[in-house]
Amino acid sequence: MTQSHKAIDNLLHALAERAKELNCLYTVEELFSDSNNTIASICRGIIDAIPPGWQYPDICMARITVMNDVYSSPHFSETPWVLQTDIVEQNTTVGTLEVFYREERPAADEGPFLKEERKLITAIAERLGRRILHENLKSIFESEKEVVKRDWWVIIEMLTHTDPKLLIRISRKMLNQLCWNGIPEAETLLADFSPAYRNEESELLGEVNQPYKKRAVEDILKISNKIFHIAGEYLGEKEILQRIQKWIKEDRSGFLVNILENPGTTLSEIAAAIERYHHLTPQGLELSSPREKGFRVSLIRRLLADQPHFINIAKPHIEVEDFFALFAKIIFPSGSHGKIGGKSAGLLLAYRVLINSARENPQLGEIKLPKTWYLTSDGILSFMQYNNLEEIVEQKYKEIGQVRQEYPYVVQLFKNSLLPPEIINGLSVALDDFDEVPLIVRSSSLLEDRMGTAFAGKYKSLFIANQGTKKERLQELIDAVTEVYASTFGPDPIEYRLQRGMVDFHEEMGILIQEVVGTRVGSYFFPAFAGVAFSQNEFRWSKRLKRENGLMRLVPGLGTRAVDRLSDDYPILVAPGEPDLRVNVTLEEKIRYSPQKIDVVNLETRSLETLSIKSLLKNFGPAFPLIERLVSILDQDRIYQPVGIEPDFGKYHPVVTFEGLLSNTNFPNQMHSVLTTLEDNFQTPVDVEFAHDGKDFYLLQCRPLSSSEAFQPAEIPHDLPPENLIFSGNRYIPNGVVPNITHIVYVDPLKYGELPGKDDLLAVGEVVGKLNGILPKRQFILMGPGRWGSRGDIKLGVNISYSGINNSAMLIEIARQQKDYLPDLSFGTHFFQDLVESSIRYLPLYPDDPDTAFNENFLNRSHNTLAEIFPEFARLSETVKVIDVRKVAGGKVLKVLMNAEIDTAVAILAEPEESIQFRSRPLKGYNPPDKDVHWRWRLVNAEYLAACLEPERFGIKAAYIFGSTKNATAGPGSDIDLLIHINGNEAQKKDLEFWLEGWSLSLSQANYLRTGHQSNGLLDVHFVTDEDIRKRTSFAVKIGAATDAARPLQLGTSQKS
Amino acid sequence: MPKKPFNSFEMAQAQFDRVAGLLNLDAATRELLRNPLREYHFSIPVRMKDGSKQIFRGFRVQHNDARGPGKGGVRFHPLETIDTVRALSMWMSWKCAVVDIPLGGSKGGVICDPHELSDFELEQICRGWVRQIAKDVGPARDVPAPDVMTNSQSMLWMLDEFEAINGGHFPGFITGKPLNAGGSKGRTEATGYGVVFTIREALKELGIRPGDTTASVQGFGNVARYAIQLYNQIGGTVTCVSCWDQKEKQAFAYRRSDGVNLEELLNITDHFGGIDKAKAVELGYEVLPGEKWIEQDVDILIPAALENQITLETVNDIHKRVKIIAEGANGPTHPDADAVLNKREIFVIPDLLANAGGVTCSYFEQVQSNMNYFWEKDEVLGKLDVKMTSAYISVSSLARSRKVSMRDAAYMIAVSRVAQACKDRGWL
Repeated sequence: MTQSHKAIDNLLHALAERAKELNCLYTVEELFSDSNNTIASICRGIIDAIPPGWQYPDICMARITVMNDVYSSPHFSETPWVLQTDIVEQNTTVGTLEVFYREERPAADEGPFLKEERKLITAIAERLGRRILHENLKSIFESEKEVVKRDWWVIIEMLTHTDPKLLIRISRKMLNQLCWNGIPEAETLLADFSPAYRNEESELLGEVNQPYKKRAVEDILKISNKIFHIAGEYLGEKEILQRIQKWIKEDRSGFLVNILENPGTTLSEIAAAIERYHHLTPQGLELSSPREKGFRVSLIRRLLADQPHFINIAKPHIEVEDFFALFAKIIFPSGSHGKIGGKSAGLLLAYRVLINSARENPQLGEIKLPKTWYLTSDGILSFMQYNNLEEIVEQKYKEIGQVRQEYPYVVQLFKNSLLPPEIINGLSVALDDFDEVPLIVRSSSLLEDRMGTAFAGKYKSLFIANQGTKKERLQELIDAVTEVYASTFGPDPIEYRLQRGMVDFHEEMGILIQEVVGTRVGSYFFPAFAGVAFSQNEFRWSKRLKRENGLMRLVPGLGTRAVDRLSDDYPILVAPGEPDLRVNVTLEEKIRYSPQKIDVVNLETRSLETLSIKSLLKNFGPAFPLIERLVSILDQDRIYQPVGIEPDFGKYHPVVTFEGLLSNTNFPNQMHSVLTTLEDNFQTPVDVEFAHDGKDFYLLQCRPLSSSEAFQPAEIPHDLPPENLIFSGNRYIPNGVVPNITHIVYVDPLKYGELPGKDDLLAVGEVVGKLNGILPKRQFILMGPGRWGSRGDIKLGVNISYSGINNSAMLIEIARQQKDYLPDLSFGTHFFQDLVESSIRYLPLYPDDPDTAFNENFLNRSHNTLAEIFPEFARLSETVKVIDVRKVAGGKVLKVLMNAEIDTAVAILAEPEESIQFRSRPLKGYNPPDKDVHWRWRLVNAEYLAACLEPERFGIKAAYIFGSTKNATAGPGSDIDLLIHINGNEAQKKDLEFWLEGWSLSLSQANYLRTGHQSNGLLDVHFVTDEDIRKRTSFAVKIGAATDAARPLQLGTSQKS
Repeated sequence: MPKKPFNSFEMAQAQFDRVAGLLNLDAATRELLRNPLREYHFSIPVRMKDGSKQIFRGFRVQHNDARGPGKGGVRFHPLETIDTVRALSMWMSWKCAVVDIPLGGSKGGVICDPHELSDFELEQICRGWVRQIAKDVGPARDVPAPDVMTNSQSMLWMLDEFEAINGGHFPGFITGKPLNAGGSKGRTEATGYGVVFTIREALKELGIRPGDTTASVQGFGNVARYAIQLYNQIGGTVTCVSCWDQKEKQAFAYRRSDGVNLEELLNITDHFGGIDKAKAVELGYEVLPGEKWIEQDVDILIPAALENQITLETVNDIHKRVKIIAEGANGPTHPDADAVLNKREIFVIPDLLANAGGVTCSYFEQVQSNMNYFWEKDEVLGKLDVKMTSAYISVSSLARSRKVSMRDAAYMIAVSRVAQACKDRGWL
């Protein structure tokens, strides 16, 4: 019992002692925390605070000796029972702290003193030493302000005592300064000083074979002395002082240098350092401009991008302080070394460039960035490690078919895996910051949007409604993030990287979480309008437009409809530099080419929806933001801007024209400034995405112009043999390449003008329309006089509608000098927007200009196949020439190269391109590195299919293949065009159709696995009968045709092996 | 023999010469009528957006104003030629005469490409055009109207300039104005209704009850829609309508044997006149290729969309039941096909007559503007009926009495009315 009693007593006693010690420590701490306290008052306070903290307060006394002052308890006298410690300021003992007992007490850990008391006294002494150092430094800095008249030696001496290392660094800088000034004594000193100094902390071997002798600090201080003596002789008092002050200040940012220059530091260390820097700045942390620039560059390299070109552009614009704000919105895994990715970096840089340019052009300052959070690029690695998904990285080395097949599994796997907790925490904080506003989660990979790589649309961007409880919203966001992660391993990006030789590049994927710009209307959320804009316009509809006038594609609602080319709807096209020159002028054009649909986020169904603008306006009319700027009213034969009372959209006919925005606001001008400013600073054409919520104009993306190769300036070859040059142009030339042209349809302008009857003129339009239906799609060009599709005087242009030209690759208008005038060309205005949406290129030619070529010999003398294709139009053979280029040019094809920068275009005969990478939408296509794979695959299958066809069973006479498979131009999405000559009965035909249907679907599935192109069947089968062949109707003309004839396939027999 | 290039004015003169032959006109009359009375060629200087000056060429051709002030549109086209303007001004003389409205024939134009111009520059061209010609046009001399690439907005700019020059309000100076600025009610309906007024009269003449007839219509624009509306009102049934499909870039014909429902179709039509194919199928319409409109088993064909639709190739596709073709569009029938139609005794109501409802309504707009009193729609359409009906009766009685085609009869009436007016004035 007593035993245990005693134990408890001891315990209680010990606890009471600890409490006393803690109280003492707190009291001392309070003394230090008040920065007004002097060393003297602190020492006196400590003397008072110590006795109550010791085991025997009644007999306890304390004494502090510091520098030349002594502080002690009342009635102090020295005794043998003492606990003592030194007070050290930067390795120098500046005093002692002693605790005495007046009387003897039982021995404890150290004499009568407890080991805890030893710790306590040490702690107090250390704390005091630091405070003394601080006070000394403070007095130096304070003295700086009024020192001009004082001797700067004071500082040097002070430093000698307080911070010799700092003095050494400053001495070194002074020495460098003196050397630069060409002072000989300094140069001799330099030889003396340099190795020793540099050897201070590290051994710098390698320059000589034996170690440098390490000099004692005292030696170095002596050299310092010398240096400053020399300085005193050559430099003015004031100059020396200012330099010393500057260097001392700069030295305070040394921690940042250490962190930033060390590639091993993690983002969290950088973040902490930046925060410290941010808090130090208001206290006068001044940086020299090279040092500041160094910081900027380091930060840009660590966080944004490490390409020299990017850094070079970014460094004048992005400041160290910007990173403080940025870090507040970055989510990163622990130990992260990631970046925020290309898209985020491009956007940030563009925004800073615009803000910095606002001084000269205030309207640039009105542009905003939507609230954005960033997930660093190594987040995906940490996610995969966390879930042991490392093997997914190997996806990119698998067969592309396998990648495609496994992709849905990867997506599911990713969506069912957990994000590391620190990322989930980050996302949760971000959600609190965003609140319940729809978000877009976009990829921002290190490869994407790099200068010179257009990864446009390869990785996913997902809209999320972000509605409901926090838990639901977080889950939705997590799902979106993992799905975007999964898209890194999708077949399209892997394929694309394979082609560009970037597959081995270590792919990390940053993520950009951005609030969707917009307002709520009913249950929908969308911006008033949005779009994309290009600083260079490759689609000019007027000769008054210049490329640098730029181009915007505007749509109401979300910009998704402006980014993609649309097949059934049109954006509004405007040249921001010349907004008054509209694409669409007549009422008919304004209506036909006005947007009919709008993309919105439906907050109730939490999904992205496409609505009809008409019905949206009917239901919400005036609530639609900026409605009066976007919509005009159609009234009989006029479109006007309503003034005054809001029109009733149920009753009136709204047409989206953006008229109010374009003619009554400075938006076009503002956009043009944005584009030119960014292009100037990025030193390359750019494209931007933007949105407007009705109040503000937001920048959503900015990158170097991402147009495909089809719109890049083509390299124009020199010294072409004249016989290979078909034509050249030197006015209003866009950029791009139109390769692999197998057929030319040439309407001779002079002969066309001489046609006597209107019927003949109309027949030219008709035959061109028919040729358009039969020539290989996107492999023929149309060349004709004046204005294609003109509805004016038919003599001055072939009368044709868009459907008569829609398969051509290029439309060429030829302006030939007529007696005393040069006809105006249309620039394709009659169907301009259709041309843009289907990437049909336009080129004007002025053959009478000097320095242009127009190979009339080739165009007029080459074999004309018109009469063979359409004998009924043989009478037009003088006027309409159909040239099978490969036949007349020994297998060569025509290639049109256009370069806007030098305003030159040439059409040359060239070997066919091996791959189809220059097709109208090269980025979406499947362009295998090994050439010819698509048509070969199709041909093999078609041959096999034909071999399986039993002629008796199905009533078949022959089978043919034509189109892209036969022409060796098939792409991943191409049909297989079959022509089957039948002579059986209805039942046999039905049977055959059924049989082919099965093949078609199987081939489609096989093609999907190969290429990712989905279709409802791959076969496009045309039946022809004996009668068709006799009358040469429909596809029968393909059999034995003079040009582009169908090729027969070997049929099977009933007894197939 | 060297071929001569196609020239629209020479075509128009050749057509006139043929009619003059039928009418036995003397040499002086032919000489007067085969050429315009007056032509104005002028320059319009415009200060462009960039501060530079550009000079545009403008025209006004007054073919004949013996019957009243000239009437005709102003065309803005980059490839405008004086011969096109001459041909069209002659056509206006005949058109006004055939419906017997007291107006002559004019046409004007400016060589310019509105696609190359800003709105402000276009306004300057409109005003410049008026400044150059103001003395020689006006409510009592020559009345412009919208045409290729001009619209009601251009008309208002022109009117404003004219009124500024002349110091007063002269809404009768120009037609084609918006409804709230001196336009006439009923203009949208006028052409389509006009077509059906002539069909109604033709049926009367042929002794067929409209309620027993069916029709197939090419086109679904204003002319076609209002033609269908009025034709339904007089009891007829339209079984097939063809129209352009913007999405598929080809025309489709929509057929329902018990008759198409106009309201129902309008509900699924975009404002460019394209019918939603999928919805039409849902509503029970049969979708056929666009050219099938001509093959339908109906009594009446109404081509109301494009030129040159009935040609030697297509004329034989016309069903044997067809009795009447009413040309709602301009020039839908090729002259070669005309002979076949004649032989098959299909009754053709020629474009000159059938689609004259539009110009008649322009005349009404001018009348109303001159007296600054505007009629209700009923009144406009009632008066239109009177004009079209009496025009029809004169043409068809001449066709019967002289045993000529309706087309020839229409031209003969038009030319002789103009010739008579010239003679009465002592010009000839």
